[in-house]
Amino acid sequence: MMRGTQNVCWLTAAELARRGAEDIPPEMVSGTHLIYSSPATLAYNSPGAEGFGVKRAGLAVPGSVMLIVAPGCCGRNTSLISALPQYQDRFFYLVLDETDVVTGRHLRLIPQAVAEIVTGLSTPPTVVMLCITCVDALLGTDMERVCRQAEERAGLPVRPCYMYALTREGRCPPMVHVRQSVYSLLEKREKDPAAANLLGYFAPLEDDCELYSLLTQAGVRTVRELSRCRDFSEYRAMAEANFNLVLNPEARFAARDFEARLGIPSIELTRLYQPDKIHNQYMALGAALGVALDDIAPMARLQAAAARLRETHGALTFAVGECLNGDPFELSLALLRQGFRVSEIYGTLAPEKYVWLRHIARLSPETRVYSNLEPTMLYYDCGALPADVTLGKDAGFYHPDCPNLAWNQDVQPFGHMGAAHLYEAVAQLLEGGAV
Amino acid sequence: MKGLWKHLTPFAPDQSGAVSVLYEMGGLLVICDAGGCAGNVCGFDEPRWFTQRSAVFSAGLRDMDAILGRDDRLVEKLALAAKKLDARFAAIIGTPVPAVIGTDFSVLRRMAEKRTGLPVLTVDSTGMGLYDAGAEKAYLALFARFAVEPCPVERGRIGVLGCTPLDLGSTDAAALTAVLRARGWTRVDCYGMGAGLDAVCTAAANERNLVVAPSGLAAAEHLQARFGTPYEICDPLAETLLPERYDYAGRTALIVHAQVRANALRAALERRGVRVQTATWFAQKPALMRPADIRLTGEEQFAALLCGGFDLLVGDVALRSAAPGFSGDVIDVPHFALSGRLARR
Repeated sequence: MMRGTQNVCWLTAAELARRGAEDIPPEMVSGTHLIYSSPATLAYNSPGAEGFGVKRAGLAVPGSVMLIVAPGCCGRNTSLISALPQYQDRFFYLVLDETDVVTGRHLRLIPQAVAEIVTGLSTPPTVVMLCITCVDALLGTDMERVCRQAEERAGLPVRPCYMYALTREGRCPPMVHVRQSVYSLLEKREKDPAAANLLGYFAPLEDDCELYSLLTQAGVRTVRELSRCRDFSEYRAMAEANFNLVLNPEARFAARDFEARLGIPSIELTRLYQPDKIHNQYMALGAALGVALDDIAPMARLQAAAARLRETHGALTFAVGECLNGDPFELSLALLRQGFRVSEIYGTLAPEKYVWLRHIARLSPETRVYSNLEPTMLYYDCGALPADVTLGKDAGFYHPDCPNLAWNQDVQPFGHMGAAHLYEAVAQLLEGGAV
Repeated sequence: MKGLWKHLTPFAPDQSGAVSVLYEMGGLLVICDAGGCAGNVCGFDEPRWFTQRSAVFSAGLRDMDAILGRDDRLVEKLALAAKKLDARFAAIIGTPVPAVIGTDFSVLRRMAEKRTGLPVLTVDSTGMGLYDAGAEKAYLALFARFAVEPCPVERGRIGVLGCTPLDLGSTDAAALTAVLRARGWTRVDCYGMGAGLDAVCTAAANERNLVVAPSGLAAAEHLQARFGTPYEICDPLAETLLPERYDYAGRTALIVHAQVRANALRAALERRGVRVQTATWFAQKPALMRPADIRLTGEEQFAALLCGGFDLLVGDVALRSAAPGFSGDVIDVPHFALSGRLARR
C-alpha cells in the first residue's frame, strides 16, 4: 500500500479492480483513519466554506433568514458567506455557552430570538431556518417542537436545518436533510400537467442545458428550479408540478416527500460526461414520459468539443479531483474514452464507483487512485507524476504549477452541453483565455 | 438579547487558538471532531493553511463514536497515522463533541501515549471558549511538556509568546522579528510562528520572554517560575498600525482589540493627545487592566458604549456594522480572530 519516496498511499485502478468492491483497502475508507485536513478536503470537512453547505443551502427559499443556534465555532466561517451581497442581513447567531449546553436553556431562548430577529427586519422573512449542530444532535433536541414554539411566537414559518456533521455518513446526512427542509413549506395544489421541477441543486443549470429543450419536446411548458424562484409565490408554485426530475441523489429523500405529501412523482437522472450514457439516459427519460426525445444536436456539440480539444492539444494527460461538478471516476472514464489520458484520480472510493472503475482499469490500468482524506496525502508530491491539466480544485492544489480548471462553479453543468462546456473550457485554459 | 448576534459573526474559538500555537511545531494535530470544526479551523482561522502544510487532521468522529464514547477507535486511528507520518509528538484538540460527551482528556492522553509511543498533548477546548483561552492552554501544555531541561542563558536570545496569526494578523513573524533585531536581540524565537519544537525545548536559554498577546502570559509566568526567565509585556508592532497622517488632536477614542495590543495602542494615542478608553471582547488579564477597562459581551453593549461619547473607533472595521448609529471615524486595526482579515503593513 505504501508507495513512493514520500510514502503516499495510492493504488492503481487495476489493483483496485482486481480486489473488487467488496475489498476496498482501509486506506480508502474514511471511517478507518484520521481525516487529513488540507485545502483539497475543505469541501468535505466544511461544505459550508465552499459551494453550498447547509447554511447557504438552507437559505435557498426566497426571502428566508437563518438563525444558527450553536457554539461560536460552528458559525465562525459563515462570514465568508454573509459577506456575499445576497446573504447580507440573512444570518443571525444564538451563540451557546457551556451553561446552555448543560441546562438546555437555549431552547427556551430560541422563540424569543426568532421574534426579535423578525421584529428588527424591515421586511418580514418568509421563513426562519433554525440551523443546529452536533451539540443538539448529542443533546437529542426535539427541534421540530422548538420550531413550532417559535412559529407561534413569531407568527411565521420556522423550519429546522440539521448541520449534524456526526451523521455525515448516515442514512440522512445534513445535505440530504436540508433538501427536505427547503421544500417543506410547499402545500398541496392543483397539478399543472405541463409543469415540472428540477430538484437537486441550489443553483440553476446552465441556461443552454439541453434538458430544458428536451422537456419542451415532452410537452413541459414550465420548468421550475428553486434557485430560479424570484419570490416566495414562485417557490410555492413548485407544488403544481406534474413530476420532478431528481438531478442529485442527495435530493432523493426530498423527492419522496414530494410524492408522499404532494402526490408528485419523480424520475432520477445522473450527471454524466460520457455522451452515449447521457444519450441512453435521455432515451430512458423519453420512454418514461411516453415521448421520443431528440438529443442529436447537443450530443454532436459535445463530440465536436472533445474532438477539437484532442486535435488541437493531443492526448492530454489529466489529473482529476473530486472537488468539481461531477463524479471523478465517471469523468475520468469519459476522458479516457475520448482518447485522453488520466494519470491520477483523487476521489472517495465506494462500492458504487466500481461501475466506472472497472472500465477505467481496462482502459488505463496504471491510473493511480488516491484518497484525498488519507493522512499520507500530507506528503503528496506533484513531481511524481506530472499532468498537462488538472480538473477540480483539489487536483489544482496538488499540482500548483499545472493549468487547472476548478470546474466547481455554482451554476451547474449537466448533460451534453455541460460536458461540451468542460472540453471547451479546457481548450480555453490551454489557449490562454480566461475561464 | 444576550447571546443573540445580529451583525457580527462569531469570533475565533478556543480550538482555533490551540491549533494556531501548535501549527508549526511539527506535531500530529488531531481535532477531535466530526469534520466541521477542522474545516472551520483550517479553512478560515488558519491563514497559513493555504501555503504551508501541517499535519492537521480531523478525528472524523461519527454519531456512534460519540454516543458510545469510543475513544479506543480514536487512539487506534492516531496510532495508525503516527506510524506513517514523521511526527515528534501528537496533540488532541477538543471541540464541542468531546465537551458534550465529557471526554476525559487525561485518560485519552495516557492511552494515546501508550499506544503510539509519542509524547501526546491534550487541549480541552470546547468550541465555546474564545481563541486566546485555547492558545493559552496550548502554550502551557507545550512548555510544561517540552521545556523541562534547564540550560545556560544565551545573551541576546528572546522568546516571543502570544505570537499567532489570530493576534498578529500576519502569516509570519517577519515584521516582529525585524523590530526586535533592530532593538539588539540576536536570536528571536516566535513561538507559534517560525520557532519549532527545538526552540521550545531550549526555552530555558532565553534571556527574556516577550508577551505580545494575553494568550502568552500564563506560559511566560510558567517559564519565569521554572527557569527564572524574566518577561515583559508589550506589542512592538501596534504603533505601526496607526496612520501617521491623521488629526488626532482632541479626539475621544474607543480602542477595541486584544488586551496587549489595545494597551499599546492606548499608549501611542495618549502620546498624541487622544482621550482613550479601551475595551476587549477577549481575555482581560487583571495585571494588564486599568480600572475603567471594559470587557465586551454583546453587540448591544458595544453599540451603546461606542455611541455614548466617542468620535473615533480604533479596532477592526468589521465592528462598525454592530453600531450602525456611530457616525465617528474608524481607524482600521484588523483583528484576525474577530473578522478573519489579515493586517496591512
